[in-house]
Amino acid sequence: MNIIDISPWHLAAGYLLLAIPLGIILWQRLPMLGQTLRAVARMTLQLLFVGFYLQFIFELNDPFLTGAWILIMIGVADISIVSGCRLRMNRLAGGLFLALLAGTIIPLLIFVLLVLQDKGALNAQYVVPISGMILGNCLQADIIGIRTFYESLQKNEKAYLLSLAQGASLKEALHPFVRDACQTALTPTVATISTIGLVSLPGMMTGVILGGGNPMTAIKYQIAIMIAIFAGTAITVILAIRLTTFKNFTTWGTLDRGIFETGRS
Amino acid sequence: MIAGQNILSGFSLRLFPGQKTTLIGRSGCGKSTLLRSLLGFVVPEAGTIRVFGMELSSHLVWKLRTRMAYVAQEPEMGVGNVHDLLVRPFTFKSNRRLHENMNCVPELLERLHLPESILGKDVSALSGGEKQRIALISGLLLDREILLLDEASSALDQAAKLAVIDLLRASEALTVLSVSHDQEWIGFSDNLVDLSKSQNCAAA
Repeated sequence: MNIIDISPWHLAAGYLLLAIPLGIILWQRLPMLGQTLRAVARMTLQLLFVGFYLQFIFELNDPFLTGAWILIMIGVADISIVSGCRLRMNRLAGGLFLALLAGTIIPLLIFVLLVLQDKGALNAQYVVPISGMILGNCLQADIIGIRTFYESLQKNEKAYLLSLAQGASLKEALHPFVRDACQTALTPTVATISTIGLVSLPGMMTGVILGGGNPMTAIKYQIAIMIAIFAGTAITVILAIRLTTFKNFTTWGTLDRGIFETGRS
Repeated sequence: MIAGQNILSGFSLRLFPGQKTTLIGRSGCGKSTLLRSLLGFVVPEAGTIRVFGMELSSHLVWKLRTRMAYVAQEPEMGVGNVHDLLVRPFTFKSNRRLHENMNCVPELLERLHLPESILGKDVSALSGGEKQRIALISGLLLDREILLLDEASSALDQAAKLAVIDLLRASEALTVLSVSHDQEWIGFSDNLVDLSKSQNCAAA
């Protein structure tokens, strides 16, 4: 790799750049100084930890260890979605975990086995970052999808119950809500796909270029990862909604209010 | 025999085919809850509900809902124009065979004093009285045996209310269970049930 390394002292110089936003925060008396400092400290610790851990994983390059690391990432994503949606953890976590797993693993396998088609592509060095990028996008999509689904059901409960009263099956009555939630969750990814490269140089492309790859190689990786991300978000959102539905509706077809942490609105 | 039996803290009610029954009683005594419990939206803590002689259960309710129609107080039918909302129930598998009933829409609109142009209107642009009549039409199109009406005349003017009463009276075979405070509506029903007089008035 012909990438320029950053020494700890040089990185410290990078932290000096923080003086500008912190200066603005102090000057404008924005009530976010503590929050910002905590966020920077957290970022540093998390990335240091991940850096050491990944070094270790890349060196060992053991499929089981790599798999375990991906499962941990999915578990963390799962917990952060549920807390981000302000919904009951025990009602969602199981279904969401499966949804994230499928949304990450299926596109990952296609990417590695069909697109890269190289033994080296099974190395942790490829598998971990690719799955991380797909998972990060699945996480965003699930937060939007799950939240839209349950909140709009809560808000439009009368219309939902009317469908049941009209003789709809659970699937039929939920269909408009599933459709809206999927559309809302997929829209940001479609928007990103259509503006990519014009507005910003995407992460994967930047990575390949910094790693010494030529721009044509970089865009090929970027195209493949964007499609993998899109496929992953579509898989995960539909599964997240379908797999959590079982636990959150009564056998009578009504929404089980226990899912909302605050109870009745 | 069509018979619905309800027990609401020492309360029981039996409906006969074609009978028009109105539930009255002060607010909060469980009138709306009673209608909703027939559809399985509220599950009684004790006692049984029988519809068409069958005990209401989470298993049977799906079948029984296809034999009843419900018009809620201040109906919310979703988003879209009136025509689409009237068609929507016929996209459900259980109602597909009834799709031809859409042919009755012009006649029903006329009988309830609504212009045919209303079909193209967005449902959010309708007045309360128009919404109630459209919801009623939607229920009637489904050709059910029992019609449940929750304050279905509350936003109607005099002429529209009489038109609704006339229409329901003409549907002899239709069993109607309604909740109302309206004197004229009460006058139209065959059977009046005062829920305030049942032993316990708390909503179940």
